[in-house]
Amino acid sequence: MNTLLLSHELLVLALGLLVLLADLWLPRGLRRHLGYAAAAGLAGILLFSFLAIRVAPGEVQYAFFEMYALDGLALFFKRFSLLAALMVLLMSVEFAESMPTGVSEYYALTLFALLGMLLASSANDFALLFVSLELITITFYVLASFHRSRMTSLEAGVKYLIIGALSTGFTVYGIALVYGLTGKLNFNELAAVSSSLGGNRLFLFGMVLILAGLGFKIAAVPFQIWAPDVYQGAPVPTTAFLAVGSKAAGFVLLLRVLFVAVPEVSFQWGSLLIVLSAITILYGNLCAIPQRNLKRLLGYSSIAHAGYLLLGIAALSRDGQSAVLYYLGGYLFTLLGAFTVLCLVMRQVESEDIASLAGLGQRSPLLAATLTLAMVSLAGLPPLAGFVGKFLLLKSVIAQAPAQPGYYGLAFVAIAGVVISLYYYFGVIRAIYWSRTAPDLSPIQPSAPIRAALYACIAGMFYLGLFPGTLVNLTEEVVKVLR
Amino acid sequence: MSFPGYNDSVLSLLIFGPLLAAALAMFLRSDNLLRGWTLVSTSALAVFSLPLYWRFDPSTADFQFEVNLPWIPVLKIHYALGIDGISLLLVLLTTLIMPLCVLASWRYINTRVKEFMICLLIMESAMVGVFCALDFILFFVFWEAMLIPMALLIGIWGGPRKVYAALKFFIYTMAGSVFLLVAIIALFIKVGSFSIPEIMGHSQSFSLNFQRWIFLAFFISFAIKVPMFPFHTWLPAAHVEAPTAGSVLLASILLKMGTYGFLRFSLPMTPDATLFFTPYILWLSVAAILYGGLTALAQTDLKKLVAYSSVAHMGFATLGIFALNKAGLEGAVLVMINHGITTGALFIVVGIIYERLHTRELAQTAGMGKHMPVFATFAGVFALSSLAFPGTNSFIGEFLVLAGGFEVSRSLMIFVVPGVVLAAAYMLRMLQKIAYGGTANPDHSRVPDLGLREIVTLAPLLVFVFWIGLHPEPFTRVMHASVQNVIQQTQGRAAPAAPAVAVLP
Repeated sequence: MNTLLLSHELLVLALGLLVLLADLWLPRGLRRHLGYAAAAGLAGILLFSFLAIRVAPGEVQYAFFEMYALDGLALFFKRFSLLAALMVLLMSVEFAESMPTGVSEYYALTLFALLGMLLASSANDFALLFVSLELITITFYVLASFHRSRMTSLEAGVKYLIIGALSTGFTVYGIALVYGLTGKLNFNELAAVSSSLGGNRLFLFGMVLILAGLGFKIAAVPFQIWAPDVYQGAPVPTTAFLAVGSKAAGFVLLLRVLFVAVPEVSFQWGSLLIVLSAITILYGNLCAIPQRNLKRLLGYSSIAHAGYLLLGIAALSRDGQSAVLYYLGGYLFTLLGAFTVLCLVMRQVESEDIASLAGLGQRSPLLAATLTLAMVSLAGLPPLAGFVGKFLLLKSVIAQAPAQPGYYGLAFVAIAGVVISLYYYFGVIRAIYWSRTAPDLSPIQPSAPIRAALYACIAGMFYLGLFPGTLVNLTEEVVKVLR
Repeated sequence: MSFPGYNDSVLSLLIFGPLLAAALAMFLRSDNLLRGWTLVSTSALAVFSLPLYWRFDPSTADFQFEVNLPWIPVLKIHYALGIDGISLLLVLLTTLIMPLCVLASWRYINTRVKEFMICLLIMESAMVGVFCALDFILFFVFWEAMLIPMALLIGIWGGPRKVYAALKFFIYTMAGSVFLLVAIIALFIKVGSFSIPEIMGHSQSFSLNFQRWIFLAFFISFAIKVPMFPFHTWLPAAHVEAPTAGSVLLASILLKMGTYGFLRFSLPMTPDATLFFTPYILWLSVAAILYGGLTALAQTDLKKLVAYSSVAHMGFATLGIFALNKAGLEGAVLVMINHGITTGALFIVVGIIYERLHTRELAQTAGMGKHMPVFATFAGVFALSSLAFPGTNSFIGEFLVLAGGFEVSRSLMIFVVPGVVLAAAYMLRMLQKIAYGGTANPDHSRVPDLGLREIVTLAPLLVFVFWIGLHPEPFTRVMHASVQNVIQQTQGRAAPAAPAVAVLP
């Protein structure tokens, strides 16, 4: 077996262990800066990935008896997660001041969660799917409740734990049913027999349970209940990583299960996916309207975005799948930009209320501009990344509509969701620039790495909004491994 | 002012010139320097745009000054520009009104001057872009790019309820434009191209049912922008709160985008659906004319009065468009231009009053004209123009629209006639108050008359009022072929060509 196939995972694992070891010898004052070292390590791995790892279009390389697949899709998500983790680590360094102890553990756990995401990108077998899912979820239990002195943080951890355990139960039960019926765990082998099992109720039941478990990861209705509380309570970098990395991992697993393992079954599930997507969009957007806590608002908005992403899955087409990847790409820059700003603002203002953004326009024009652009991009206005993503998703849905009119309804719900979302995104922008009373007008000076990260986010949003060609080509290429 | 290669580069320069000027404005420190720079750059662009008129070939309905470069090849999106007779006039209106907006906000805007000027310049780029774009996605990007600077103009430099007005404007127009986006995607999936001329060429192959849905999606988007009754409620709020330049841009250019959308997209791309829905839209237009007139009559706030009169005037424009004959369409285009000139001027007039009295209440302004003869003359001419007095620009436009409307339905026109009378009523009421007032006028003897800057702002508009009013031929000349083309695309197979009518030059 070629070790190069697993190089991302091995390197990240080594980096995580190194961080833990370094913690033993480093003096207390320097531990905070370990985050920069970890981020630099990730940058190195990312660079290595771009230079050394190549996968020919359409080619799949397997390891561990086809349990582990390295193809374009896996590589896309690996690089995606690495980039996300890199920015989350930079954010964590800013956040570390407010953490009493265990800063290095926080960095190490972030790296282990990343390891889970890297494995998830390559999971081609229900066993690996389960293991990677658990690795992500269990590290997040700890990451979410890291603020041990804060009630809300502990509450977030417990909620995530209970509902997470429930969903794990669903997943395992589903996997057991599927395995019991077919005797197979590998996606490729399942694909060969799944066409004949399309009518078997027990098999379908098992698949539905597995989908429920994945639905929990991406926070789709009806498994969204944990998201607002956990987003609100968890430390900001955790929330950011949960919103970007964990969600992307859920989507890559969903794509693989639906379009590699059981494509014949998935293609019968158009109506189910339409309904799920529509309800998720409406629920997320409607519930976000009255929120005053910024992290909670983003929690609901992330439910809505899970709904938009499901549009691409519900379309059951190549265009839809590649649109999902594109949307995630734009979402990465947008959301991480927004969370980085939150991290900096909330460090100084204890409250997480939208009102705490008052006067940000004067306190730091860069932060204000980043957050504004992020909100505009989330709302889906040109010329930012969010617009192109929504455009591609809508296009993939409407392309299916002549065959199944239900897709017109779905497109309508999606645009209704966009209009609703304008209201609360605009509310954030209003708080930044138009608040009458600003309690605190002390300027915020972001550190140099954070400034660089913010500029990168802004550049990413504009680049993906104005010149989508490169990424569209790439995503269309990598989804060719899916059915 | 022209140079070799003018035809190929003029539209791109008109779009990106303002952006470049905005980028340079970021480095300027002094407020007066910023004002001067914006004035110089918008004036230069205006002068630069003039040769468009001479170089335009009015004998053909084809798009001219075309540019077509691939922008996002993988999605088949192009950077395609071009103008025909209809968009030519609107582009020129945009470039010519911009310097006047800068002049009108010279003293009024004192805070965040830099941001204000940058917003104005970005608006210019987006507005010119909307009228020039020949690729649907490019059009949509420009269409949306206007929203944010406009919302900022209202929301930062506006009146007391500015945030409410900005939010309402933003959500209303955005709600409309998402429908537009869906229609664009549906058309792309049908035709396989975002090119506007290409989609027009395929319109014959669309089923009636498909056309109806597309038409409705277009309609929601454009009707909100026009705004047609009953989608107009954002307009008074936005106008009342916006600063003078914002109101002028809103009235003169942004509202035209709705009617431009009907002309450019609804009619040629969904011809059968247009014929199907025409009766309803004609009645909505009549409702807008009457409703706008009656509401304007009841206003005591000058800006609201002018805003509601806009609803009525735009009712004439949609009436002309959906009369679907030569007189109606040409009248509609003229009404669009005239409304841009006259209502823009009226908003500047209201702005001048507000700068002096810090109120827009009609009662407070009573008798101003006695002490300000120059001002009274300007206000008088523009008010007369707004009520379509013969010899002024609006008369020609509204007359053509009425002529076109009579061809379609006499019973309909019986309801329009009171609208014309209403226009006279509310405008003369306003003029009477401002110019003469009553026996107990507030004391205005210390209010200064117009300064040179204000005269320079209003004079060009005055020239156009009489130019179009007395000699409209140079303006109608360029649009004949394009309007004929729209009629042909719309009625090409549904009905024989409309009988020739006596039409003004």
